[in-house]
Amino acid sequence: MNRILANLLCIVFGGIGLNAVSSEFCVADEKLNGFLKKAVDYALPRTVKIFGASVGRIEGYGTGILVSDEGHVVTGNGVFLNGFNTRVVLNDGTTLPASVIRRDPSLQLALLKIKASTPDFFQLDEKPAAQKGDWVIAVSNSFKVAERTEPLSVTLGVLSLETHLTAKRRRDEILYDGDLYLIDCITSNPGSAGGAVVTADGKLVGMIGKLIESTETNTRMNYAVPKNLLAKFLAGTLPDKTVESTSEPSGKPAELGIRLFALGGRKSPAFVDRVQRGSPAAKVGIRSDDLVVTLNGKTLANSADFDVAAKSLVPGKMTVIVVKRRNKLLRFEITPIEKK
Amino acid sequence: MASSSRPYHRSRNPTFKVVKMRKWKMTSSPFLCLLLVGSLILLSTYENDLSGQDDPTDVDLSAGILLAPKAFRAAAAKVLPSLVTIDSFGGVGAVQGRIGGIRRQGEGSTTGIIVSKDGYVVTSSFNFIQKPPIITLTTSDGKKHLAKPVANDNTRKLTLLKIESEVESLPVPVFLAPADVEVGQWAISVGIGFGDANPAISAGIVSAKNRAFGRAIQTDANISPANYGGPLLDIQGRVIGVCVPLNPKSTSLASGVEWYDSGIGFAIPLNDRSILEALKKGKDIYPAFLGVQAKPAKLDGSGVKVVKIVNGSPAEKAGLNKDDLLLQIGDFPVQDMTQFKTLIGRFDAEQSTEIRLLRDQKEQTVEVTFSKPGPLPKKPVTGAKSKSVPDKK
Repeated sequence: MNRILANLLCIVFGGIGLNAVSSEFCVADEKLNGFLKKAVDYALPRTVKIFGASVGRIEGYGTGILVSDEGHVVTGNGVFLNGFNTRVVLNDGTTLPASVIRRDPSLQLALLKIKASTPDFFQLDEKPAAQKGDWVIAVSNSFKVAERTEPLSVTLGVLSLETHLTAKRRRDEILYDGDLYLIDCITSNPGSAGGAVVTADGKLVGMIGKLIESTETNTRMNYAVPKNLLAKFLAGTLPDKTVESTSEPSGKPAELGIRLFALGGRKSPAFVDRVQRGSPAAKVGIRSDDLVVTLNGKTLANSADFDVAAKSLVPGKMTVIVVKRRNKLLRFEITPIEKK
Repeated sequence: MASSSRPYHRSRNPTFKVVKMRKWKMTSSPFLCLLLVGSLILLSTYENDLSGQDDPTDVDLSAGILLAPKAFRAAAAKVLPSLVTIDSFGGVGAVQGRIGGIRRQGEGSTTGIIVSKDGYVVTSSFNFIQKPPIITLTTSDGKKHLAKPVANDNTRKLTLLKIESEVESLPVPVFLAPADVEVGQWAISVGIGFGDANPAISAGIVSAKNRAFGRAIQTDANISPANYGGPLLDIQGRVIGVCVPLNPKSTSLASGVEWYDSGIGFAIPLNDRSILEALKKGKDIYPAFLGVQAKPAKLDGSGVKVVKIVNGSPAEKAGLNKDDLLLQIGDFPVQDMTQFKTLIGRFDAEQSTEIRLLRDQKEQTVEVTFSKPGPLPKKPVTGAKSKSVPDKK
């Protein structure tokens, strides 16, 4: 009880001027530094090191999380899984051969199986474990710092944002197109992919994803693939994005009657070159030389963005177009027609 | 694999946590009081449950730290009405090649901070590296406006924008003076760069003050193109500064980007209204240029000796001579050559200060007004005749 009182006093008076005294006897106890111990103790036995083939300068290692008691491991997809000798090292140092049983090209996930019973595993469910600003810890084998029985590295950060965005993998045009949790622990390192991201009380938030660059800022992102997407991947119910993206949302293409300037390729701003007579654009009063700023809620940095936004239009369904004309932004409600 | 050679790891060792805890108790602000009260309530509720345990104190303090995310969210929510989303259209195209591992710079939406209710907005100049002719701002109420750049501060890498349409009562956040910021206190960076109207946040601490010639505050919260132009906040949602890429060793617009998300980030305090007022007049701010070539002093080492004065430079106008021993610039004594350069770096062009010097064994003081660094004067062409090729016969 005395200790409680002492700390009460120290908390209450800390702000008034007993800094020197309070800081000394409040932090003297080493136990106070262990506020994440529970989370770390829970996460470490459920996270594994993975070693495989290295190809050229591409690293031959990664991290993974145990997701069932029968030895199922989810990790980031990569060439290191393509060799004949993929090994999973459990927290106690046990090394076991692993085989790949499923991959997802869109979220860059891979499901491995080891022949062992794994009583300690992360239960994957649909319930989100954290919200923006919450502490998260990332558990991974960045830069292969941990070997064999050495425990994985743990870093602290906060959950920055839950969002949906598109990103690219290095120079490739393979897009990550899905929900994700941005975190502010630095996880965009070799070997981090497949690591666990857990809350301060040990609940799984998601899994560190493969290295991707944001298509908005072109920076490398530190993020986790949310737990609910992992659950779908494990159950084999993830939608196939490659098929979905090629089909028209309504089945019928829509048209506004706007032709853009083609100068400078698809990276040039979306200036209107011509408006087709009698078209929806002509009816609301869009003119040549207007700059299309937003369409259907999307900001258009260039004419390529216009093409993407135009594809999402539905014939007969009213939408909003904002154009810049001289020094004014003009907002029009426009109803696209079916493309002939 | 550029990653393996770059220091991406941020150490967050237990000592960091101690500093955070300590700071947290020292600050007496309503917000923290709220948190403290929260932790006290937790403490009292835990008291009974934990009476059987040896040491309940770790739970109490842990509970306090675990409440911090609530304060992060509240701080970000408080500043949100004062943030704008900036979009730009067109431009000269990306700077060729990669800068700091980023292939195309200044693309995508970025963040700005409202600095006056009649529509002035400050953001990072990096966001306009492509010199876009058309800029729009979206205020937190969802309204879109056209905006034009008013002026650039080339030393702090800030751009002042003005909303072109009529606006009257935009919310201006509270700007903190660097004197009220302490190393070790919480720092939260906020930015709209990922294309989501909801800003992303990153939490860390204030790492240092008076960086980059006294202009910037350093933090270990993540600073990157995703939040350049956005605010660095204290735990109460007051603005410590605006996030910019900086590298004290270079004045190029994109320098400092190479340190993105590395644990070394910078924010420029905005409490000094004189900078904003200068920018509002449409005047660009440049680094200071004095125009002396100097060498180390021979005697006890302090002060520097003038070797040469550049023609037409501020040094010449102030009446500095060859062989003058410079002792003090403004409030700062001149110690050696390296420090002499950083002293001048503390000033902007067109700022005036006094230089104390020793000439013919006598101390005297001259007033100098710095100019912006101009193009180097051309050397007179000498000996051209002798080098010319003889005419063919």
